Amino acid sequence: MKGCTSNQFLGILLLLLFSNSCASDLDFDQVNNFKTEPVVVANLASFDIQASQFIVNGVEQNVIFDAPTIQLFNDSFFKRRLKKVELFFELENTINRAYSLNLFFLDINNQPVHVLNLAIPSYSGAENKTTKTDIFENVQLDLLKRTTKIAFIMTISPGKPLTKDSVGSLKLRSSVTAYLVVE
Amino acid sequence: MRKSLLISIVILTINCYSQNKQILYNFTKVPQSLLTNPGSDFKYDWYFGVPLLSGISANIGSTGFSAYDLFANNGVNFNIKLRNVVFSTTRKDHLAMNQQVEIFNGGFKIVKQENNIYVSFGMYQEFDALYYMPKDLAILALDGNRDYLGKIFNLGDLNVKTDLLAVYHIGFHKNITKKLIFGARAKIYSSIFNATSTDNSGYIYTFPSNTGVYDQQIKSQLQLNTSGFKEYFDENSTPNVTKDIIKRALLGGNLGLGFDAGFTYYPKKNIQITASILDIGFIRHAKDVESYSLKGLYNYRGIIPKFSSGDSVDNLYKDFQEAIPLDTLNSKYTTWRPAKFNSSIQFSFDEERPEECDCLNSNRETIFKNAVGAQLFVMTTPRTPLIALTTYYRRKVFKSLDFKATYTIDSYSFNNLGLGLSTNFGPVNFYVLADNLLEYRDISKANNLSFQLGLNIIFKNDKK
Repeated sequence: MKGCTSNQFLGILLLLLFSNSCASDLDFDQVNNFKTEPVVVANLASFDIQASQFIVNGVEQNVIFDAPTIQLFNDSFFKRRLKKVELFFELENTINRAYSLNLFFLDINNQPVHVLNLAIPSYSGAENKTTKTDIFENVQLDLLKRTTKIAFIMTISPGKPLTKDSVGSLKLRSSVTAYLVVE
Repeated sequence: MRKSLLISIVILTINCYSQNKQILYNFTKVPQSLLTNPGSDFKYDWYFGVPLLSGISANIGSTGFSAYDLFANNGVNFNIKLRNVVFSTTRKDHLAMNQQVEIFNGGFKIVKQENNIYVSFGMYQEFDALYYMPKDLAILALDGNRDYLGKIFNLGDLNVKTDLLAVYHIGFHKNITKKLIFGARAKIYSSIFNATSTDNSGYIYTFPSNTGVYDQQIKSQLQLNTSGFKEYFDENSTPNVTKDIIKRALLGGNLGLGFDAGFTYYPKKNIQITASILDIGFIRHAKDVESYSLKGLYNYRGIIPKFSSGDSVDNLYKDFQEAIPLDTLNSKYTTWRPAKFNSSIQFSFDEERPEECDCLNSNRETIFKNAVGAQLFVMTTPRTPLIALTTYYRRKVFKSLDFKATYTIDSYSFNNLGLGLSTNFGPVNFYVLADNLLEYRDISKANNLSFQLGLNIIFKNDKK
């Protein structure tokens, strides 16, 4: 150590430290390859109509109807990244009458872009469910994206008339599974 | 390209934290050690730091992952690396940064008959950032919710804070008794920019249900407070960043107060005990504040046709906005500085014999060539405190060269070796401190890196 001044010592140490340091090759541009494909599930629509609700002013209604607005497919973030959609429907009937449910997916001009039908027989004591899954890709998906309203048209099939005291209900559960690509 | 630029800037800015200055602490050859313990046993007639060059420190620490894990150019798809990082980390993992530059720094001695009072003062700029891994939100963004039915995603995982501020300080230390040195420092903080989102809570869940297909609920208690950014968000204003920073640094920002205190105690000549608390203080953000909140509860059931009007309006998006509105507020808020606690115990040996006999000076300081010791560091964070344990060896190599070697265990690593060197040529003091030396073998794989260097002029009359 004789003759080695403190600044030489310091210099050598610093040199050793930095000459031995290195960095692996990093590529920050990789972030441009970012891509993720989340799958989001959500309720689409549901109802639970009691048998007695089909009676208005003591008279059975053959057809009941509603056309609520739906904005799910209008959101631009969602719309641009949507690659595939599955719509799941389950109808359960515990009323002693058969029903037919028609769903009309309407665009802004009230023109149907997609139609779906679910028919369910009358209740006979056993479990009475019917399910359907519609898959939308490519052209079908583009049509779905134009949907602004869904018209629910419930038609009751001929049979023994319902009264205020009729039991049972008609239940719909439905969901949407959205396959997104975010990049 | 913009994405890559943004991320690169974030990573580069992050060249620097953890706020533990284990090498500097009690390294009393360096005046800046007074900033880690105002009661340091550092004696001088007067000193000043070379403006802008007296103390430059940068520190970065990340638990759970390194830059290499994400950006290694190793042929592995970036998205796979990103998933590995997200799924191998926890909500406790974080990225922490701290950078300081001393603008000016100095000190002088007030001669008293009994015990001299040592005054030190200065101003430094500090950047602080702490980002916790928003684990649940990252999973939700990467995978969606389909494969996580029954999982409650915690919105409280979002926890970030960033601060840019100037600190003005003045402190003193003196020997209360021959064995005890006490010091304290008052601080004025002038905040330049602040963004804080640390008191978040809430959840998102999707459960299977009998009524609908799913039972889906969002409870959100999210808030982001900002100060200093407002005019930059306003499209009509033409802010001048440099002018704003200078103005706010010169006490024109949001102001706060704080203090440090510490002591050094020698129960025996060769045993030293020290402790300090730093940055017990707050900043009141009253100017240029803007806060954003998303607070509320929303139960998403989907469309429910009523079959009554025939044209029911189910405006779900509007319902959501009403249930959890995005509010912009201009209310004042207070942030607390991250408080730090340091303590050490040191055993010294190998007493240095003076070459010339100085028999008349009975107060001559005993100088030991070697010392070993242990230090404890604790810092408050929005979640659990950060704790670090350090053992060290300190040696006076030559008259003008001292070094301190440290080994530290903390949440960032178990193999943190550090080295500090301080040289004194005449009145010129130069020091360089660096830790995690083993990580320099490949800095891109480092979880924690810090360095500090500086230049001071110290005048010290040893005879007195």
